[in-house]
Amino acid sequence: MSNGRVSLKKIVKRHGAFTALHGIDLDIEPGEFFALLGPSGSGKTTTLRIVAGLEEASEGRVFLDSTDITNTEPGDRDVAMVFQSYALYPHMNVRQNIAFPMRMVGMPKGEIDAAVQDAAKKVHIEHLLDRKPGQLSGGQQQRCALARAIVRKPRLFLLDEPLSNLDAKLRLETRGELKKLQRSLGVTTIYVTHDQEEAMTIADRMAVFMDGQIVQVGSPKFVFDNPATADVANFIGSPPMNLIPASYADGRIRIGAHELQTSCRVGGERNVIAGIRPSSVRIGPSGIPARIDLIENLGDALLLDLSLDQMTIRARTGTEVTSREGESVFFSADPTAVHLFDAVTRVRIND
Amino acid sequence: MQTPVAARERRFAIYLFLPAFLVLLVTTTVPLIYLAWTSVNRVDLTSPWIKGFAGADNYSKMLGDPRFWNSLELTVIYTGTTVVLQMLIGLGLALLVLQIPRGQGILRVAAIIPIVLAPVVVGLFWRTLVLAPDFGVLDFVMRALGFGSHDWLGDPNLALASVIVIHTWQWTPFAFLVILASLSSLPPDIFEAARIDRASSVQRFWYITLPLIRPALVIVVIMRMMVALSAFAAIFAATGGGPGSATEILNLYTYRTSFTELNFGYGAALAMVLLAVTLLVSYSMFRLRTAR
Amino acid sequence: MKRSGIATASLLGVAGVFLTLWTFPVLWALLTSFKSERDVLAYPPTLIFTPTLGNYRDVLFGATTILPNLISSFVVATFTTVLTMLLAIPAAYALARLNLPGKRAGGFYILATQMLPPVGLIIPYFLFLQKIGWLDSYKGMTLIYLTFSLPFAIWLLVSYFEDIPREMEEAALIDRAGRMRAFLYVVLPQVRGGIAVTVIFVFLNAWNEFLFAVVLGGNNVRQVTVAMFNFISVEQTLWAKLAAAAIVTMAPVILLGLFAQRHIVKGLTVGAVKGGGRR
Repeated sequence: MSNGRVSLKKIVKRHGAFTALHGIDLDIEPGEFFALLGPSGSGKTTTLRIVAGLEEASEGRVFLDSTDITNTEPGDRDVAMVFQSYALYPHMNVRQNIAFPMRMVGMPKGEIDAAVQDAAKKVHIEHLLDRKPGQLSGGQQQRCALARAIVRKPRLFLLDEPLSNLDAKLRLETRGELKKLQRSLGVTTIYVTHDQEEAMTIADRMAVFMDGQIVQVGSPKFVFDNPATADVANFIGSPPMNLIPASYADGRIRIGAHELQTSCRVGGERNVIAGIRPSSVRIGPSGIPARIDLIENLGDALLLDLSLDQMTIRARTGTEVTSREGESVFFSADPTAVHLFDAVTRVRIND
Repeated sequence: MQTPVAARERRFAIYLFLPAFLVLLVTTTVPLIYLAWTSVNRVDLTSPWIKGFAGADNYSKMLGDPRFWNSLELTVIYTGTTVVLQMLIGLGLALLVLQIPRGQGILRVAAIIPIVLAPVVVGLFWRTLVLAPDFGVLDFVMRALGFGSHDWLGDPNLALASVIVIHTWQWTPFAFLVILASLSSLPPDIFEAARIDRASSVQRFWYITLPLIRPALVIVVIMRMMVALSAFAAIFAATGGGPGSATEILNLYTYRTSFTELNFGYGAALAMVLLAVTLLVSYSMFRLRTAR
Repeated sequence: MKRSGIATASLLGVAGVFLTLWTFPVLWALLTSFKSERDVLAYPPTLIFTPTLGNYRDVLFGATTILPNLISSFVVATFTTVLTMLLAIPAAYALARLNLPGKRAGGFYILATQMLPPVGLIIPYFLFLQKIGWLDSYKGMTLIYLTFSLPFAIWLLVSYFEDIPREMEEAALIDRAGRMRAFLYVVLPQVRGGIAVTVIFVFLNAWNEFLFAVVLGGNNVRQVTVAMFNFISVEQTLWAKLAAAAIVTMAPVILLGLFAQRHIVKGLTVGAVKGGGRR
């Protein structure tokens, strides 16, 4: 069996005067669970559809292993896809839905039946085979779509926001199962999502899309720890990173009249954006003075809204903090947890 | 056990529904019973002195009446061919039009025109401006192409085909519009899924499109059959059922028997057969519709 | 994906053929209506002629006037529309929304009456109206027109009533409107569009009707669909006048049809759509 390495070379997609993708380059390793992450309209779904062959790239090439599939029909690419809407065939029952991709290439009936049983079993819907999609719950429909994709043993899985139509609890469960399923099948998987938490938990590596470009590629942990731009930093993590306008000179950050410690040792002077994740904000006896506007108790943690010169800074602290709303406190941050971005280009400065 | 609130709602509903129901009862069901009664009586205005109960006479007369059998046969041919033609042309055209990048709207609007015209006016249009020998447009075209002049409505061999064409002209736009609406309401992602699932365009049409628009197709067939079975005005205007009885479908024969020959008893019996045919067709059509 | 220019051109060609086919008879009639009777008979048919309004003058105000017939048609169609709506709106609301006893049977009954072929019923109508002396009268004609317009209107309206959210009425009931006022002030305004479309269809069908008009009418009530035959006799056909009369008669109908164009598919399939198995 072939392995499923995907390469995109300089993919451009234009719709009339509007450019949806500005030259995408991407390499996805065999067997990898790869997420395309970004806000809506950032081009991630278009990229997936170009890989599927449902849309044509205006420029650039798509390779699957060493084959150029840029002009190959979707059905001839050996890829399977789970649609956001699931796109189940409403007039066929679950069995017929799962069997469809194999019936289309004239596989013998005995083989189809066995494969359908096998696929249904893997996603635990073998008791639903005679139902129509309309008689299934959202979660069951999702599994049916998944079974229809895995039944073919394709070289590549394409998943377009497959969990977005499930309720929160089911989404968490399915997320785990999806990851296990992918591990056991070992098939390269491209996964589109706008939910950063989903991408963080499920993907081996991910590409962050912004405005039709890939801003950063890497493992979820690397991207979380070293966001390439202020926008990526803002997009990944919940609640989002605090981005504070500041000035920087030779290892010292000034926010208004106050000073913030940093481990950054880059030389020179410039205006920066200082990024501090809410969980890195420390409340203590010294630091920058701020007022507590609001306290939200999450049970095992507190979310504080601190106001400082018209700005709101969010902090996530342990429940041991005893200050009340309206009181003044001091906050600081671990010097290694302060991210610095250029104020103009918004690109990361430290490391 | 009913709550007072539910009882009040039911009473309100009955008050609203009753007037329409009573009007329909009086204007459709009572006449239907009266029609059945007339059909077992002798009611001949050309010889009003023989009047009275006739039992099954009118019906047994029918069995030996070649004009009746002819009209029944013509009804089957007329209904069958017009419906098949409308469906084939309507479906084919709708599939084509969906491929047209622009200008769908114009065709959609043009399709309205035949549908809203009065069938009697349509019959007259065709009889005079299109099909009349020597003056009609079609005759001009045929002559120009070297096929010679034909009396499209006066020639017994051509008349039936001509009225079938007229009916098809008027009502194919209906099939076209409904099928087009149904086709354009299909979710595109299902077709994308089918493409990824390796279905060719023929397979997609056969396994996805056709089953999904089947309900719409069945509806169109039902409605087209009903209209074809009650077709009257266009044929009346174009040929009057003639020449001879070349286009005399059951509707025309019933009408002529009753209002030209003034034999209401026999006309009523023919009308009963017409009703029976309609009922039979609609029943089997609805079975087809509810069948999976 | 990309299609060749030839394929697109032939697609457009087919569409063009049907466009011509569907509009041609009406356009040709329009052209003919401006010709003198002599120009009509020219062979080959001519596109160049001196246009005349004479046919319209004759058809509207001359010896062969159809003005009284237009008035007859208008009166019958208007009476029919008003009566139909008065009866159909409440009945449709009861069928669509209220807990009407025997709802399914009632709905099916109305559908069944719509299926009856008019030729099947014309005999009893004629004999009835003759008996009570209502032949050739507006009241008789209107009464019989209800038989096809009422079931149609009820089914069309049911589909519109079913589209509006039930919460509207519930809110009105909680706001102490009572069922009648909830219907009149909350529900009806929601289906204004549907009512307008239904009015158009009912009027159009009544205007176009021929069989009942020819059998049940006479010298008092002779609708324009019947009067159309004035221009055709065994000896001769008054082509241009027939064309002018047809244009005058059909112009309002075509305008109404184009106006209601978007709703036509819904209007035409109603009944069958709702018929078999309702949700």
